[in-house]
Amino acid sequence: MRERVALVTGAASGIGAAVVAELSRRGWVTAGLDLRPAAGADHAIGVDVADPAQVGAAVQRVERELGPIGAVVSAAGHYAMVPVADITRAQWRHMLHVHLGGLFNVCRAVVPGMTERGRGAIVAVTSELAIGGGDGDAHYAAAKGAIIGLVRSLAVELAPEGIRVNAVAPGPTDTPLLESSSPWRDPAYLATLPARRLVTPEEVAVTAAFLIEEGTFCCGEVISPNAGAVI
Amino acid sequence: MRVALVTGAAGGLGRAVARRLAADGALVAVFDRSPGRELDLLAEEIGGFAVPADVADPEAVREMAAAVEERAGAPIEVLVANAAYMTMAPFTEHDLDDWWRIVDTNLGGTFACVQAVLPGMRARGGGHMVFVASEWGVIGWPGASAYAASKAGLISLAKTLGRELAPEGIAVNAIAPSVIDTPQLEVDARAAGVSSEEIRRRYAERVPLGRTAAPEEIAAAVAHLTDPRMSSLVGQVIHVNGGTTRARA
Repeated sequence: MRERVALVTGAASGIGAAVVAELSRRGWVTAGLDLRPAAGADHAIGVDVADPAQVGAAVQRVERELGPIGAVVSAAGHYAMVPVADITRAQWRHMLHVHLGGLFNVCRAVVPGMTERGRGAIVAVTSELAIGGGDGDAHYAAAKGAIIGLVRSLAVELAPEGIRVNAVAPGPTDTPLLESSSPWRDPAYLATLPARRLVTPEEVAVTAAFLIEEGTFCCGEVISPNAGAVI
Repeated sequence: MRVALVTGAAGGLGRAVARRLAADGALVAVFDRSPGRELDLLAEEIGGFAVPADVADPEAVREMAAAVEERAGAPIEVLVANAAYMTMAPFTEHDLDDWWRIVDTNLGGTFACVQAVLPGMRARGGGHMVFVASEWGVIGWPGASAYAASKAGLISLAKTLGRELAPEGIAVNAIAPSVIDTPQLEVDARAAGVSSEEIRRRYAERVPLGRTAAPEEIAAAVAHLTDPRMSSLVGQVIHVNGGTTRARA
């Protein structure tokens, strides 16, 4: 029997919510983890992904109530532009613990079960800023870059267990993470992008769904729907 | 109905791509160097049509694209440039004519196909192109200098056209598969002087996923890159390789 339970973090809005919608459309039962209630998910659990105990408890609850988790999309995150000299230790720590820690915590919680069943797919949402960097993006880009290192290492470590680990690295995406005043929404910036527009959450979600369902020979891959921001 | 053109369609991967795009609802023109029963049967099976031509002949490619568009009654919306030729030899022993034949077919042939389909894509206001590159175009490979150079050239061509054509709604990307379980494995086996089972085992050994790819897995990546919803994915290389270049085993 193939598991059709997917766990999505950051599921309440933006990319995470789009992933929940896409996976639901494809017949997955979804568990949405977020600080706020993930309205679109079949099962919403209030969780701070930076806290390993909360994540562990949530994963246990999902597997008990919905069944074994076959797919994970780690999309929880937040964004802020801060010049490097002004990044406080608390901001640095928070950025690393939500993005990198969030992925790490979820993987620690789901990998034993996936290993036991001999299959599973994990997709992390990183960012084009992890590859190209960005002025004022030091802590965000460092956290997202660390995700790529973690993804590629887990990919090779878990491949023999039948677990595939991959990532999506979107460019600036039309989500609530980008405030209306965000420089990423500035028409002058968008005009510099080959695609001349923001990425849609749906494009990220469709790519994540591809990596889960059909990208069965992708291992440690990072797919970049980024409007051409980094080529 | 979307009109798609798949080159190198008589080969293992091209055939899988043509079947997949047809299954997803496209009218697929299958293109290969020489006319033949296999190409005709494939066309019949998927409800498309066969258009034999040599990709290394730009004039023939242009005529072929025009014939496809006339027969389909619509411009080509999806191009999958997959036609390839390869031989292997130590660099200094590589026959010069053969070296250029590889580059002219793999890189030059794709260039000709792009030129042939671009007017139609522009007329319809968008499209998708996927160039089938190779893991060897990313990391190089001993004895495959021409092939690796041609495939690396395809990657740069995809990046450049990704930038150049995205403003017009034309998404150009490349895929870089590693070893696919197709008859091409026989060529590698002969070059290495071993059986096809042995070459398959050797290849699988260096793939983190522990196996070679089924053509359908690569075709699925092509389907993703040509998904009508995916127009902000441009100038990228999707490494469908079991982890060979994306993670160190």
